Amino acid sequence: MSLSGYRKRMVTITINKNQYLAEEGEIFLLTAMRLNIDIPHLCYEKALEPYGACRLCMVDVVTCGKTTMTPACTIKVHNGLEILTDTPQIIRHRSLLFELYLAEAPKSEVIREMAAKYGVTKTRFLKKIVHDDPLMGKCILCGLCIRVCNEIMGGKAINYINRGPYTTINTPFYEHNPDCLGCTACANVCPTNAIVFEDSDSNRVMQSWSGTTVPLATCSSCKTAFAPEKLMHKVMNKLDPAIIEEIKSLCPECRRHYSTRKATRKVPKS
Amino acid sequence: MKIQTPEDLDSVRKKGLKKLQPGRPRIGVGTSSCGIAVGGMALYNRMHEIIQTKNLDISLVKTGCIGFCKEEPIVSVSIPGKAQVLLRKVHLDDAERIISLALQGDVPSDRALCKISNWDHITGNLVYGNEFEIIPEYGEIPFFAYQKKVILRDSGLINPEDIDEYIGIGGYFAGYKALTSMEPDAIIDEMKRSGLRGRGGAGFPAGLKWEITKKAPGDEKFIVCNADEGDPGAYMNRNEMESDPHMLLEGMLIGAFAMGIHEGLIYIRAEYPLAIERLILALDQARTYGLLGQNIFNTGFDFDIRIATGAGAFVCGESTALAASIEGKTGRPRLRPPRLTEKGVFGRPTDLNNVETWCNVPVIIAKGASWYSSIGAKGNTGTKVFSLVGKVDNIGMVEVPLGTSLHSIIYDIGNGGALGKEVKAVQTGGPSGGCIPVRLFDTPVDFESLNQVGTMMGSGGLVVMDEDTNMVDIARYFINFASGESCGKCVPCREGLKHMLLILNRIIAGKGTHEDIDLIKELSETVQKTSLCGLGQTAPNPVLTTMQYFPEEYERLIIQRE
Repeated sequence: MSLSGYRKRMVTITINKNQYLAEEGEIFLLTAMRLNIDIPHLCYEKALEPYGACRLCMVDVVTCGKTTMTPACTIKVHNGLEILTDTPQIIRHRSLLFELYLAEAPKSEVIREMAAKYGVTKTRFLKKIVHDDPLMGKCILCGLCIRVCNEIMGGKAINYINRGPYTTINTPFYEHNPDCLGCTACANVCPTNAIVFEDSDSNRVMQSWSGTTVPLATCSSCKTAFAPEKLMHKVMNKLDPAIIEEIKSLCPECRRHYSTRKATRKVPKS
Repeated sequence: MKIQTPEDLDSVRKKGLKKLQPGRPRIGVGTSSCGIAVGGMALYNRMHEIIQTKNLDISLVKTGCIGFCKEEPIVSVSIPGKAQVLLRKVHLDDAERIISLALQGDVPSDRALCKISNWDHITGNLVYGNEFEIIPEYGEIPFFAYQKKVILRDSGLINPEDIDEYIGIGGYFAGYKALTSMEPDAIIDEMKRSGLRGRGGAGFPAGLKWEITKKAPGDEKFIVCNADEGDPGAYMNRNEMESDPHMLLEGMLIGAFAMGIHEGLIYIRAEYPLAIERLILALDQARTYGLLGQNIFNTGFDFDIRIATGAGAFVCGESTALAASIEGKTGRPRLRPPRLTEKGVFGRPTDLNNVETWCNVPVIIAKGASWYSSIGAKGNTGTKVFSLVGKVDNIGMVEVPLGTSLHSIIYDIGNGGALGKEVKAVQTGGPSGGCIPVRLFDTPVDFESLNQVGTMMGSGGLVVMDEDTNMVDIARYFINFASGESCGKCVPCREGLKHMLLILNRIIAGKGTHEDIDLIKELSETVQKTSLCGLGQTAPNPVLTTMQYFPEEYERLIIQRE
């Protein structure tokens, strides 16, 4: 027995009639990914709670011979769990969902490639065309950007606007939002690369978020802009107070030089 | 004055009875939203003015709605020792005549709808007397004859703004009985034996839900009343709250005691201002009597109810969206499980029941589970209130035992199509339900039978359609509604319904093809199967049922073109 309490109980589950060992309590989608069983998904992110909005990871859960369609991101692994991931029914619904995605985000290459992988190359639905779309006609409203901003970064700069088919994501009233940290976590987590931003000399402009402009901190040594001021401030507040004051205003590159110099100086003379 | 002993309660009951039968003429004006819409409040004000200026010995009160919306404004006149008479379609100009006749011990018989010689309030009985031979008895009017009033036992007869009248006909006696002489588990057991199923639409056994909530770990829990009634054509809950708000409060009090919960919430849509006003008044009155607050009936049990208003979203009737809305968040459903009974409002275990479910509780406790389960059908006990609307002759709120056939509701009570037209279909369950054609009108109205024909009970709207109704247009109307009310969280509902609407628009414009028909069928199935919450899962029902039962109407629009 290794460190007691750390080891998860392994249980037997059945996926597409094959048996596997899996960690009890793990989210089934992650189990399947680890076992190289392909389940498409767009709105799941390990760092966040399952959200269940994209509906692409729907699988059949078999209980007492009956099947129920459930998103794989909401299933917790337990002993005897039986899952079918590619029944004709699932494939049919998944294909239609891909058609809906193709119509919703016609400019998204990610969606096009993903749909093609599952055999869907065109849509029978009217394509959504938004002129001057700040999200480039690529947004699928999975909400990952909102969730990462609100729940992890604590920025709360963006949210859903309107409801139903009129839903969009942006800053309140489509105005420059001073709450934005400029961290770009939203852009990093976006599955369809819909969020655009640009760094100029001293500012970061979140073009997708109503041109929200965030000043960048300048390195006290080399004078280049390297990270949003507000983000730096937030991060610095979380650091060990014992950290050397001098390095707080340095960019990563200069910080490395600083540390190296310091280490060299410390080498005792032989 | 706080009611603590049975003597206290009885003295209020006597006071209430004195108000109901004051020994002088009593005139009640129907002032629910339906009555007010056709001049009920103006009528009340006119009568009030006449009585005030002439200083007449008449008791004038506001009453709720007796259910016969077609005949509103309805005025009830009760003269001591004589039958209470309901007057129909009373005009403002009739005010003077009604008052002067009442003072002479008479009523304008040309306006008379029916008379009530005695009334079974279930929790109490009121005897009025006879006379007025030419006026038919209440039970002789077909609209009323086929109904069984359990939930609407007081509606239209008592003043909803006066707690004394509710206590006068035996109100809060069930609450007293439950709190002072029953074990909480015995109450839950009684509820389970009554067979009461949730009246919000899904029909989950209410007693079982109470038990699950009670057993859920945690000390702080909530009970919530879902009053976010939003189906087009449904207004049962509104009327129940406007006509008899204390019935709801008493039900919640009993439920809270049974589950050991001290905080209650009523989530009500902001579009029901009168219901909110009357509930606030009812809460104040109940607190004054100590029926809410601390140490209720001197039992040491504390319970109070707060009101939370919605902001106009249909999806907030869904349990998890409702919880989010109460917390001040956007009303978007979340994944279930965990269900509300585990993790509800502010993360606490929450029991959520519909208005009508709560309204059933006092009578179950007062009369017992076996009395209650003798009404209705096996597995579908009790009565259900429906709002019978659309192209039907007798529009109104009807209460029938579950298991009554649609035929009986639409023809016996509703008197068939309006203006002598043929009835073609009926939509049950609002945008989540489906259209049932006239050939299936033998279907008994219960949770299972309605599911079998492709629709559902829903909260209880019955929208009647006649020969002139275009069923494709009906399907489009409901899809338009569901699409506009979709929260936009999941793709099938947000995008799927939008495209269903676009396709239906195309078909109605005469530009549809057979491929469109196939596509909309395919899409309907995907939306049903893959949507996150009940809204999307049920939204295609109107399309699927109209396609199944009225394929020729779709076909006709397609053929026009080809």
